[in-house]
Amino acid sequence: MSNTQYSGVKVKRFSKGFVIAHAVNALSFFALYITALPMYTEWFDWLYPVLGGPEGARLLHRIFAIAFITPTFIWLIMDPKGFLRWGKELITWKKRDLQFFTEFVKELFGFKFKHVKQTFFNAGEKINSIIQILTAILIIGSGFPMWFPDLFPKAVVQWAYVAHNVGFGLAIAVVVGHIYLSVIHKNSRPGYTGVITGEVPAEWAKDHYTEWYEEEVKKGNFPDLDKNKNKKKGA
Amino acid sequence: MAEYIKYVDVTKCDGCRACMVACKNWNDLPAEPEEFQGSVQSHAKVTANTWNVLSFIEHEDSKGNLDYLFRHSSCFHCSEAACVKVCPEEAMHYTDFGTVDVNSDKCVGCGYCVQNCPFDVVQLATYKDKNGKEYKKAQKCTMCVDRLEEGMQPACVTTCHTDAMEFGTKEEMLKKAEKRLSEIKDKYPNAMIYNPEGVGGTHTVYVLAEKPSVYGLPEKPKVPTSAVVWKDYAQPIGKMMLGATSMALVGAFVSNKLFNKEGKGHEEDGGGSHE
Ligand code: SF4
Ligand code: SF4
Ligand code: SF4
Repeated sequence: MSNTQYSGVKVKRFSKGFVIAHAVNALSFFALYITALPMYTEWFDWLYPVLGGPEGARLLHRIFAIAFITPTFIWLIMDPKGFLRWGKELITWKKRDLQFFTEFVKELFGFKFKHVKQTFFNAGEKINSIIQILTAILIIGSGFPMWFPDLFPKAVVQWAYVAHNVGFGLAIAVVVGHIYLSVIHKNSRPGYTGVITGEVPAEWAKDHYTEWYEEEVKKGNFPDLDKNKNKKKGA
Repeated sequence: MAEYIKYVDVTKCDGCRACMVACKNWNDLPAEPEEFQGSVQSHAKVTANTWNVLSFIEHEDSKGNLDYLFRHSSCFHCSEAACVKVCPEEAMHYTDFGTVDVNSDKCVGCGYCVQNCPFDVVQLATYKDKNGKEYKKAQKCTMCVDRLEEGMQPACVTTCHTDAMEFGTKEEMLKKAEKRLSEIKDKYPNAMIYNPEGVGGTHTVYVLAEKPSVYGLPEKPKVPTSAVVWKDYAQPIGKMMLGATSMALVGAFVSNKLFNKEGKGHEEDGGGSHE
């Protein structure tokens, strides 16, 4: 299987700031999800006793809500360069981004596919980022009027419930896809360990994010795998 | 079961406030001392512990005559109640009489009903459990459902000494309201029956002497559009997506276990904990 073939050479993909921001984001999202479930539908009322009753669930939801707001700032402060590159890539769309999706669908269903050259973030990750940003704005923006209804006009509070609901529905769908790809989908899996350790196998990085990899090779940061091909693999 | 409504004829009320006292008394509601409101009115509006407030309105009519208007105010017991619609716990519910009541055992104090009542009626009351921990429950006029179940009338209705309030079948009460309206039209040209369509009609129906806005009531109250979008569209679609994505996840996991056998045991994952 492809994920077992990588040699030991690893390259740094994610900064510490990104790793922390991503972890805080993921954990708080998950905690928000759990603490909101019984409020969302009575199917999950059995969670109330676990969470310390409705009051406990509400308190936890608010604590994690604060945590959920922090990742942007963590990343921006600890790794402004990476953060800016992210922003820039999100608004840069080229033909290869569209090609990515055709190939990606083939890959998902097990057909033959070729890697379309991608920069640091591939088109799928960019779509994921964009939807996550939009839903985060919806969810956080609507959370405030729900938390402090006295500070907002009634209509705003009433529509906030809708926005929170829609934002959450979209977010969870995208998150499930995101997790599926990173944890279960075998060809993407090194990305999952990468986002925890910050490092990914060099060959995998080169295959998946060719343009970024080549740039880093040019800068002298990463080993040139093509040159090493005839030599013994591994460290 | 036949639907019952409370018919309130504000033109017969003399502002004695016996209904407020009867309500507090029957429902064991604590007194809520309030600041002076600038008039004889005791509380600005109904609250979680004061389900019934007599409002006093000084009104100058089109001829320049000053009129003193009274209105017994409490929950309207809407036929299409926004509070019932948005309640995530089915705590807010319709009774056999067509009225609206809170099941306190189910209520989690989320306040969704509070934010969506078009009449600003229902409120949260704060209580303390035996460990001193605070919790909240929605509270509002129950139309004395516990009395209704025993074949009695609501406490306020029983108490009223001017017959400004009556309780009976919907048909009978609406007929009375129509008759009364025709009697007072000469004296109060703006008089009307307040039984708003936008909430499917109510189970507290008023004959008002003036336009609703004079009494601080919405002219055309309705179930908030946001509540309809939220509960009839966003949430059902969301639930479907939740189900679908969970199924997809389970499916993906199973197929992965089935088709990815060779990969097992020697996966390279660089150390991080693995699901
Ligand atoms: S008891 Fe009757 S007369 Fe007295 S304030 Fe209430 S509605 Fe008016
Ligand atoms: S008036 Fe408000 S609290 Fe009473 S039934 Fe209607 S929506 Fe519910
Ligand atoms: S506060 Fe209670 S009655 Fe009101 S919506 Fe929440 S659970 Fe339902």
